[in-house]
Amino acid sequence: MTSVPSESKEKESRGHFAELLKVEGKLALREPTGLGVGIGLPIILLVVFGLIGIANPGNVASTGYTVLDLYVPVIMVIGFIFLGIYCLPVTLVRYREMGWLRRVSTTPAPPSRLLAAQLILNLVLALAAILIVIFGSEFIFGAPLEVGIPYFILSIVLSIAVIFSLGLVVAALVPSQTVATGLTGLLTFLLLFLSGLWIPPATVGGPLATIMYYSPSGAAVRALLYSVFNTAPPYTAIVTMVAYTVVFAFIAIRYFRWE
Amino acid sequence: MVMVQHLVKRYGEFVAVDDISFSIEEGEIFGIIGPNGAGKTTTVECISGLRTPDSGSISIYGLSPQKDRNRIREFLGVQLQESAMPPRLKVGEALELFASFYPNPVDPDRLLETLGIIHVKNSIFKKLSGGQKQRLSIALALVGNPKIAILDELTTGLDPEARRETWALIESIRDRGVTVILVTHFMDEAERLCDRLALINHGKLAVLDTPEAIAALAGGNRVRFVPSQPVDDKTLYAISGVVEVERKERYITVTGTGDLAASVINSLARIGVHVSDIEARGGNLDDAFVKLTRDDASGASGGVQP
Repeated sequence: MTSVPSESKEKESRGHFAELLKVEGKLALREPTGLGVGIGLPIILLVVFGLIGIANPGNVASTGYTVLDLYVPVIMVIGFIFLGIYCLPVTLVRYREMGWLRRVSTTPAPPSRLLAAQLILNLVLALAAILIVIFGSEFIFGAPLEVGIPYFILSIVLSIAVIFSLGLVVAALVPSQTVATGLTGLLTFLLLFLSGLWIPPATVGGPLATIMYYSPSGAAVRALLYSVFNTAPPYTAIVTMVAYTVVFAFIAIRYFRWE
Repeated sequence: MVMVQHLVKRYGEFVAVDDISFSIEEGEIFGIIGPNGAGKTTTVECISGLRTPDSGSISIYGLSPQKDRNRIREFLGVQLQESAMPPRLKVGEALELFASFYPNPVDPDRLLETLGIIHVKNSIFKKLSGGQKQRLSIALALVGNPKIAILDELTTGLDPEARRETWALIESIRDRGVTVILVTHFMDEAERLCDRLALINHGKLAVLDTPEAIAALAGGNRVRFVPSQPVDDKTLYAISGVVEVERKERYITVTGTGDLAASVINSLARIGVHVSDIEARGGNLDDAFVKLTRDDASGASGGVQP
């Protein structure tokens, strides 16, 4: 009887993770839905609001700000919503449904690495969207942003965490790609509304405004709005996002199905 | 080197695998056959560590697929039934990716060449034919240079030519010293490839032997003919080698051992009976399969599977 092959060395795990990232990156380029909605959409919104801002300078409720100035956080959060709520869960559910997660789980590479690679890929896209929106609005359309780096980083990290963890809840619980596409569509629409894309909470007023402020996307927009004008975000927005993230992450980890 | 003892796996009320034991020798092609839903796939999924048995034990080179998952995966290649890849992943990329998962992979290009799919290396998965997808699936199971390969229903959906090519491939894998566990419901495939066969029916091991020995269980050779004049059973049973006689319309079918056709023709000629429309065939695995699975189904359990 032959002996059992020797144990693996630790270096292999890094090798296969790099390879996984490379493959996921190539696939993202070949099927550029993520690039399109995650980055393309923020660019389109940036241009649209930028042009409105140029046409009507400083006319938003006589604040002296243009539409674009006030919509920078919304545009960024929309990018996160499409990447985290749409692209990430739909891809993961599809991988599960086609048996790809299961296929990988028969190899020495844990399938969680595949999930991590997808997560990192979408985070990179989110980062790209942030940079494009900030630089585009400030240098092309001249928005008077004074990004307070510590506030901004805190708000961005929490915004992404809350939206992506909600996306992972969808990936964990949804049984099929068909359901995933429908549910994420609905959820995306709901979160876009709550973020204030169509009507900002300040305009809405009343209990609906409160609901918007305490929703995942509404809290994200609120925190970012303060941060891009170098003001400390309201602690309620911060606490709201932390609380959602903890709950969502718990559900996603607890109920994630590999097959 | 693979020992399965008293394996039991239930899905809710349904007992998919009910107390199965067998052992697999190094370097053999071990076949697992049985009707659909018999528990074949569940058995190999337990061996590959994808499922946890409810009771019983499995040992692979002394390791447990559940406890020593990570170590076993390094030398166990698995080809899953109905498993797809991301549609735009290229053949070469998939193989490079899987090669990176293993400590001592084989050269992906050489493997693609051996499998005859090197020409589609840069094609995306979606564009492959059924046979090419199947070959790629086998390639992914072998790229880690495994000592054991589990192949589940690998020729289902392939055309006859592709099936034959795949068989030749499996033999070449075995010749390289890889132990192959082959799940199939094609009897010709099992007969042609396997050194030993486990026939599973309703989650139980019905028989475990060489294909020849199992085929012999069907009752050996069979000769069907039309006699020129009536012959009674007594005369037929007196012919050397005849074990069983069946009649259907004008036809008589005798089952037995030895050179049955010759002895039937000669013996009947001696009493002035000529035979026509003669048709002889050896016992085969198909007959044995039908017999063994039918015998079991008519037994006490007789349960309908979900």
